[in-house]
Amino acid sequence: MFRFTRTSPSAMTSPRRRRAAGIAAGATVAALALAGCGTSGGGDVDPADANGWSQEFAGVELNVLAEATLNSEILAELSPEFTKMTGISVNIETAPFAQLVQSVTLDFSTAQGDFDVVSIPYDYLGAYAGSDYLEEITPLIAANADKVGEGFDQEDIIPGLWDTAALWDGAYYGMPSNSAVTMMIYRADVFEDEAEQEAFAAEYGYDLAPATTWEQYRDIAEFFTRDAGEELAGETLTEPLYGVTIAGKRHEAAVFEWINYANSFGGGVVSPEGELIVDSPGSVESLEYMDALGEFAPPGYTSATWDEVTAQLQQGIAVQAISWGDTAGAMENPDQSAVVGKMGYGDVPVAAEGDEHHALHGAWTYTISKQATDADAAYLFVAWALSAPVQKAIGEMGGVPATRSAFEDPELVAALPSWPQQLSSLENALARPRNAEWPQMLEQLALQVSTALVGEATPEAALTKAQDDITGILGDKLPLRAF
Amino acid sequence: MQAPSLLILLVVLAFPLVYSLSLSFQSYSPVDPEAQGQWIGLDNYVRMLQDTQFGQAILVTLAYVVLAVALETVLGTAIGVWLSRLMRTRRLVTSFLLLPMIATPLVVGLMFSFGLNAQFGYMTETLQWLGLVGEAGVLDSPAGAFAALVAMDVWEWTPFIALMVLAGLSAAPQAQIQAAQMDGCNTFQLYWHVMLPMIKPVIGVAILFRATEAIRQFDQVYILTGGGPGSATTVNDIFQYRVSFTAFDMSYGAALGIATFLVVSVLAWVLFRYLNRKGEQR
Repeated sequence: MFRFTRTSPSAMTSPRRRRAAGIAAGATVAALALAGCGTSGGGDVDPADANGWSQEFAGVELNVLAEATLNSEILAELSPEFTKMTGISVNIETAPFAQLVQSVTLDFSTAQGDFDVVSIPYDYLGAYAGSDYLEEITPLIAANADKVGEGFDQEDIIPGLWDTAALWDGAYYGMPSNSAVTMMIYRADVFEDEAEQEAFAAEYGYDLAPATTWEQYRDIAEFFTRDAGEELAGETLTEPLYGVTIAGKRHEAAVFEWINYANSFGGGVVSPEGELIVDSPGSVESLEYMDALGEFAPPGYTSATWDEVTAQLQQGIAVQAISWGDTAGAMENPDQSAVVGKMGYGDVPVAAEGDEHHALHGAWTYTISKQATDADAAYLFVAWALSAPVQKAIGEMGGVPATRSAFEDPELVAALPSWPQQLSSLENALARPRNAEWPQMLEQLALQVSTALVGEATPEAALTKAQDDITGILGDKLPLRAF
Repeated sequence: MQAPSLLILLVVLAFPLVYSLSLSFQSYSPVDPEAQGQWIGLDNYVRMLQDTQFGQAILVTLAYVVLAVALETVLGTAIGVWLSRLMRTRRLVTSFLLLPMIATPLVVGLMFSFGLNAQFGYMTETLQWLGLVGEAGVLDSPAGAFAALVAMDVWEWTPFIALMVLAGLSAAPQAQIQAAQMDGCNTFQLYWHVMLPMIKPVIGVAILFRATEAIRQFDQVYILTGGGPGSATTVNDIFQYRVSFTAFDMSYGAALGIATFLVVSVLAWVLFRYLNRKGEQR
């Protein structure tokens, strides 16, 4: 069932720490599933192919582990071009979130050095950077300034995204590999229907438009929730329609969705001062709001993650959602979606008119392992992945780039309806905590958000329990110095 | 002659156990620079005793094992008896019964996950048509999700008990059965008073196998419910997986593993003692 796609010869000979053997034995049983592998062979190079990139590292072989997403597939497809220019060969492996994290943690903690470049979810930045597993990127940028091609411009990387993805305790530990960010996704076609607009104005006393406040979001959810047989924009519904769709399973998806609400209600997980605010009034109010929205969500939303949210939007059975921008491609794919050309994309709403909109970053980060065969060569690969031609190609092929020029490219903007909103969301997005204990905190939050959504506890009781349990996890580390 | 096998046993069983035991007295996390293997004595075990989430996971596991294995035993015995009375179609029916057991746990989990989807799952539609669940489906409520897990295990493993019972009945001594028939026992009396008591040890072994398997349930729960909603389906292995491989609290995870190992060992020992005593009585 599970398989490794590559075994590094160095893994057999590199020194292992004593503890590593035991952990490795346990982790092997824990079944790491790595799937997908792209390879480009290096070696001989022609100076005419360099295109401004240094060929000093020709012959170096890099092993890259990245998340199993379209971005990684595209990079694997494009990597022969990098090899042709630099002579550095690249093996790209991909794995789903949980398996990637387990595999990376094992590799880092045992100093095995299987991977030179690893794309990590930024949630683990504190864990890995704090444990001294990662190379700082700033010295590598300075040392290799004359070795990168003209296509790479570090100023082009969206600043807030870079900070979220790589800035830990005053130092940068990589560059963003994936710019997933939340936004409001809605059915623009039904919002523009005149009959619906009139009915909405008559019922709620204001014009129907994409929600900018949570109150409007709730009103719209209520307005569009209809039974089969009722009318929608002049057509009779054959299936029930739901005003909103929510990820409510005991899963990080539910926590991330709640954080979107909490950020604008004045709550969240950690205050700017590093204190826990899980049970603050704003946090409780936001979970009560999310819970109340469930009335207008498809049945069974408490066992849904973002996969179900995407599917329900694609099927046209839900009118709006707070979801990830990188699912916009799925909305506009005629092979998968019944709502092509019908969707609109907007900022995550706010509690009151005039408040600042805040999305949530879902970024991943290219990091360079301290055990990398050649950190400079690894940096060149990361710089190439962030270079303008590669970033544009990622956008063209359906992925999500991390540079401003790609999001402002006229051709891409014309072809991708969600593009301007993705950039807007990236610029106003906040990060979730990234401290070493965050995975444990996330577990407690997932449990208690789920408990509240299924009615096993009130939002207040659930978040109070989460606050207590997380306080126990953090102990004397509170207030958090870096997060 | 036994040296190679003992060596393999030592490597695959004894080493991880001893290592886990040692780890359970330390504070170690590969992602926490402050937890680098300091010796903390029994702290992890004290924490375990105070951990309400672990207690809840144990309760869920016990309820799951008792319910699932009890249902499988009753249904499996009934099916086994029925199979023993089939003449022409026994092989065909037996082959069909093997199918759920052949499927990997992951596939079974995915099958039920699709089937129980609240919007388009065929199982949900059937249950709704029967009036057993509302429009939110089975997995929306803690009781429903727990029942789904039990039903999934019963669907997959009842055939195992049935086949064990069938094998036991096929090997039962014919002399006593014929004597009972000559004494005028009807079919029910024959099975209830003569044949089933004869195969009690076989059923006991089947229960032992199933109980030890069910205690380490993981894949299907992970796929179907992720342990939720809330903590309704967080069985012990899911809890331990989260501690060790999501939160990377390796030493606490090791302590949990050692405790589970001890509990399962004691259970197995009790069951074996019971079976041995029964065997001696016969």
